[in-house]
Amino acid sequence: MAIDLIATGSPVEGEVYVGRKLILIAVMVAGISLLVWAGVHNARERRLEMQQAAIPKATLSSDTAGSADASSPEQMTPKLQGKAAPAFTLVDLDGKKVSLADYKGKPVFVNFWATWCEPCKLEMPWLEDFSKKYKPQGLVVLGISTDDGGKDLVAKTAKKLGVSYPILLKNDKIEDAYGLEYMPQSFYVDKTGKVLIATAGISDGQGGKDAIEANIQKLLAAGGQ
Amino acid sequence: MVFALLLVAGQLGQLDAPAEAPKQRVTYVAEAQTVAAAKRTVLELRFHVDSGFHVNSHTPKSDLQIPTALALGAGAGVKIATAEYPAGKEFSFSFDPNEKLDVYSDDFVVKVPVVATAGPHELKGELKYQACDHAACYPPRTLPVDVVFTAK
Repeated sequence: MAIDLIATGSPVEGEVYVGRKLILIAVMVAGISLLVWAGVHNARERRLEMQQAAIPKATLSSDTAGSADASSPEQMTPKLQGKAAPAFTLVDLDGKKVSLADYKGKPVFVNFWATWCEPCKLEMPWLEDFSKKYKPQGLVVLGISTDDGGKDLVAKTAKKLGVSYPILLKNDKIEDAYGLEYMPQSFYVDKTGKVLIATAGISDGQGGKDAIEANIQKLLAAGGQ
Repeated sequence: MVFALLLVAGQLGQLDAPAEAPKQRVTYVAEAQTVAAAKRTVLELRFHVDSGFHVNSHTPKSDLQIPTALALGAGAGVKIATAEYPAGKEFSFSFDPNEKLDVYSDDFVVKVPVVATAGPHELKGELKYQACDHAACYPPRTLPVDVVFTAK
């Protein structure tokens, strides 16, 4: 079927087909190689960035007070707001397992705190008050400690603060699951399991307590009784 | 099949990508120092706390608070004594003016007495601290510290 190249000067059909196929394969190999190189290069760049970040650097500090910080609580957008609250199963101070799913169908206020966090310890007595005040309306308050030490210090601190709502101990997944970067952070989880409101930090003075109560009332109002 | 190969190739660079490092709120202001050899002298390690933040001093008022503490590893030809920390400043959160804290903010210097043999030296260590701003507190962090100095 092939046309004789030598006799006519025209390309041999079969050779043209093979040639095109070879070009196609070469292009594919080149493309894949480029992607692999890009991936490896990207990984190397990330490692270099990590090393640079770890190296102590001299700084010409000329920051003025009050400069905005892109990662401060005020600047951060609550990432989980409007989304399903990540599931968890943690252990309370008595060693009993407690899951968010245990409270399905109820409004749940999830508060992350730590013994070394002064703003956290200021608001916890408020949360105790709200836990008692709104329990008849179905509110559940859960405090999750992010301390790395043993439960004894957590238990002692919670008792000193007069907290009687459940205190749970973190596991190695929950901080990433909830995107915790600072304390306190609170998540108002509605009856459907969605994060209605997410807050970080504490407002000044009485405004802090009032703001929390206003959010709790929104949570209770959401989704009907 | 080509599409699958392209996808795999694209992900190869992600496989060993390390997680993003948490942001530091304290910076070590590295300065090469020259000290006298073979006699007790003091290295000064300067640190800067980001504007709007504070860290607990080395002696916070509550034992629940995490103190700022420097740990330096041994170096050949260098004897290291206990670090000397500056006094903190009194601070209160605006939402709790009755609670007094002892903190460092802006710049602070930690002094490290050493006796070193003549020549160049390098000491590696870390500063442990826990920072807060006016409304929230950040988990404890460790800052790598690399002290370079020459004894003459």
